[in-house]
Amino acid sequence: MNRRDFMKDLAVGSLVLRCGPSLLAQGKPNPDLAIVTGESPAALAKEALAALGGMKRFIAKGDKVMIKPNIGWDRTPELAATTNPEIIKTLVELSFEAGAKEVTVMDNTINQAPRCYARSGIAEAAKAAGAKVPFVNEYRLKKMALKGEWLKEWEVFTDFVETDKLINVPIAKHHSLSRLSIGMKNWLGAVGGARNQFHQKIDEAMVDLAAFFKPQLTVLDAYRILTRNGPQGGRLSDVKLQKTVVASIDPVAAETLAAGFFEIRPDELPCLGLAQKRGLGQTSLEKLTVEKRTV
Amino acid sequence: MKKERSRKYRAIQSARIISQAGFFSLFLFLLFKTHFTGQDYIGPVETFFHFDPLLAIATAIASRVLFASFALAAITIVVTLVAGRYVCGWVCPLGSVHQFFSFVFKKSKLLKPRKEEKSAGRLAWKYYILVVVLVAGLFAVDLVGIADPLSFLYRSFATGIIPWFARAGGAFIGLLYGVGLSSAGDAAAQFFGTLSLNQTFQQGFFLSLLFLGAVLLNISKERFWCRYLCPAGALLGLFSRWNVAKVRVDMDKCIKCNLCTIHCQTQANPYPNEGWRSSECVYCYTCASICPTKAVTFPVKKTPEKIASVNLSRRRLIFTSALAVVAAPFFKITPAGKRAADKLIRPPGALPEPKFLQKCVKCSECMKACPTNALQPALDEAGPEGIWTPVLKPKIGYCEYYCSLCSQVCPTGAIKELTIEEKIKVKIGSAWVNKDRCIPYTLGRPCIVCEEHCPTSPKAIKFVLVEAKLPDGTVAVQKAPVIDLDLCIGCGICENKCPVMDDPAIYCTSVGEDRSEKNRLLLETIQPVVLTEEPKDPYR
Repeated sequence: MNRRDFMKDLAVGSLVLRCGPSLLAQGKPNPDLAIVTGESPAALAKEALAALGGMKRFIAKGDKVMIKPNIGWDRTPELAATTNPEIIKTLVELSFEAGAKEVTVMDNTINQAPRCYARSGIAEAAKAAGAKVPFVNEYRLKKMALKGEWLKEWEVFTDFVETDKLINVPIAKHHSLSRLSIGMKNWLGAVGGARNQFHQKIDEAMVDLAAFFKPQLTVLDAYRILTRNGPQGGRLSDVKLQKTVVASIDPVAAETLAAGFFEIRPDELPCLGLAQKRGLGQTSLEKLTVEKRTV
Repeated sequence: MKKERSRKYRAIQSARIISQAGFFSLFLFLLFKTHFTGQDYIGPVETFFHFDPLLAIATAIASRVLFASFALAAITIVVTLVAGRYVCGWVCPLGSVHQFFSFVFKKSKLLKPRKEEKSAGRLAWKYYILVVVLVAGLFAVDLVGIADPLSFLYRSFATGIIPWFARAGGAFIGLLYGVGLSSAGDAAAQFFGTLSLNQTFQQGFFLSLLFLGAVLLNISKERFWCRYLCPAGALLGLFSRWNVAKVRVDMDKCIKCNLCTIHCQTQANPYPNEGWRSSECVYCYTCASICPTKAVTFPVKKTPEKIASVNLSRRRLIFTSALAVVAAPFFKITPAGKRAADKLIRPPGALPEPKFLQKCVKCSECMKACPTNALQPALDEAGPEGIWTPVLKPKIGYCEYYCSLCSQVCPTGAIKELTIEEKIKVKIGSAWVNKDRCIPYTLGRPCIVCEEHCPTSPKAIKFVLVEAKLPDGTVAVQKAPVIDLDLCIGCGICENKCPVMDDPAIYCTSVGEDRSEKNRLLLETIQPVVLTEEPKDPYR
């Protein structure tokens, strides 16, 4: 069996077998993970949340919500280096509809922040939906006990901690060191300090950060995915149209699923195994309730 | 005689003060606007410079090229020819700074104008400075940027006052948080974030001191800089001999109190009237509005009349010209002209080095616009001529891939204006790996942060698996960076983001820069010999 077939089996077979019956059942519990494919990023995000049981499942009236996209690079959306702005806008709208008092969208960028915020389209889109889109502020940086296995303490932007609900909205990208940059890698944008040292133990660092931040919801942007030259890309030929959005209460499962888009087996990504061992989520998708939809 | 000051001239004086405040505000507005504001193209924020005839003429002489934008300087010249040095008194933002501090020092009694000003000889200094600048320009040594008032002011603000403001703002924000006003702190921090103020400059302290010195000179004499030093004022002084607005003192009304001359901002000496120096008057109208008997007026004459000006001794003029002639070659002794300097990475679009030096007026517009604070005022990197010209320091900032702001704001075309599409193709240098310090090469640990940040597609930094011999004798195999020089544009982000902080293990030098025909590395026509492949049999 080659890898492609394996992935197909894993994704199609297990999902259909495991989730099929639950779809038929009446009064079924909300699924753990939703995969939606279709044409419009906004509609995908909306449908993915609907499939999970609606944003109200995660957000209570009066909540402060923090949405963490990847705005790391000075790239336009079609280059798939930053999270799709329409998905962010939809999530902001859904959060307000669910009763959120305040929604903030921010990231500690790598290129100059005003450039990343503007050219990713995220600042404009999120502001249009009523979110606050501040730049990270060094005065809100606080050394915190991460209690990780490798990172004992680190400087964290308190915005990501002092919030009622945290939604991680990464984009699925190639990365030369960690192979993929998805949800756990996205947390590097919530901290300050010498982030460039994380590379020396990238998988451990990612898992420690993911264990610290523990989002209530992960919405994975796989509308466009970056298949090479990551994590920045730069040419349209580096980008593949996957037209998928995954929403999940299990960040590890979402990441496991995304690996399939790149034809990478979960066991090829050490961070997934580490994360599962730390109890952050599941790499065995068959153990989850998964809902698949097309819009 | 009834003592009453002229209402008309006091109104004109107020208008002048409003004009100065307005133009200074415009200067500040354009200064603060010079950064990435969400658009790729920034618009004419550097327009002030184009009205400066000194920059226009001196740059044209030094570079032997006329730059079209400087056509606006003709407006200044025409205004001066017709009306006099109104631009100095009503428009020049540096003049306003000096005027403001002269006022402050006068009010605080630090500056006490003398009854009799004996230092008229000093008025000639600025003309000699002008002569040195222009004559040096003939020998392709561009010194105008050092002393031009707009360059001086912009440079002082960009590399001194603005960083001070940003850091003082930072301290203020810290204070707000410290006393528990965190929402005010948040708001202030976001405000400063949107201004994108660069706050790190080599020589920033020194350049601030120079500005402070220029301001403090006003304690010695009102508008010291404008009176004695400003070569742009001298140039306008030369144009300001035949104009139609001349000071006239009505001797029937004059009570010989000498107030007009004592308080003349630029020692133009309205009384005695025959000693008035047309070339020195900046039309501030202090004399006319301070006169207790309305004796001083500025009647407009239909026929221009030539009026005696500052005495320039022919001997001194010849001497200063000779000085410039003698001095010019000294500026060329530096090895900068002989061989490219490794650390002299110029902004993208910079002209070839000799042309660049002839055009750059050291104004720091590019340094203000740079989104990453990468552009720094040179000290000795480019030789004595190149002091305060922009040099990219990757340790401080890097060249942002999709940004061409520095090239857009350069007022003289020393940095050729580039579109974003043009800019991303420009190579300003080359990156090199220092394998002795590189973490995978030496310590056998994962890193390749440089590869992650490399902005080109495909990336100019690739990785290979290398073996590192560790102190315990074991061997670690890691991905380590190698550079593809055909793709590297020398932007310096690799050096900037390298975790080896003090002396980055990957660094950029100027070699391979597109602008130079000499600072080259590889002959493109020769293919490298690849040893790992089987040599092909040429006969088959």
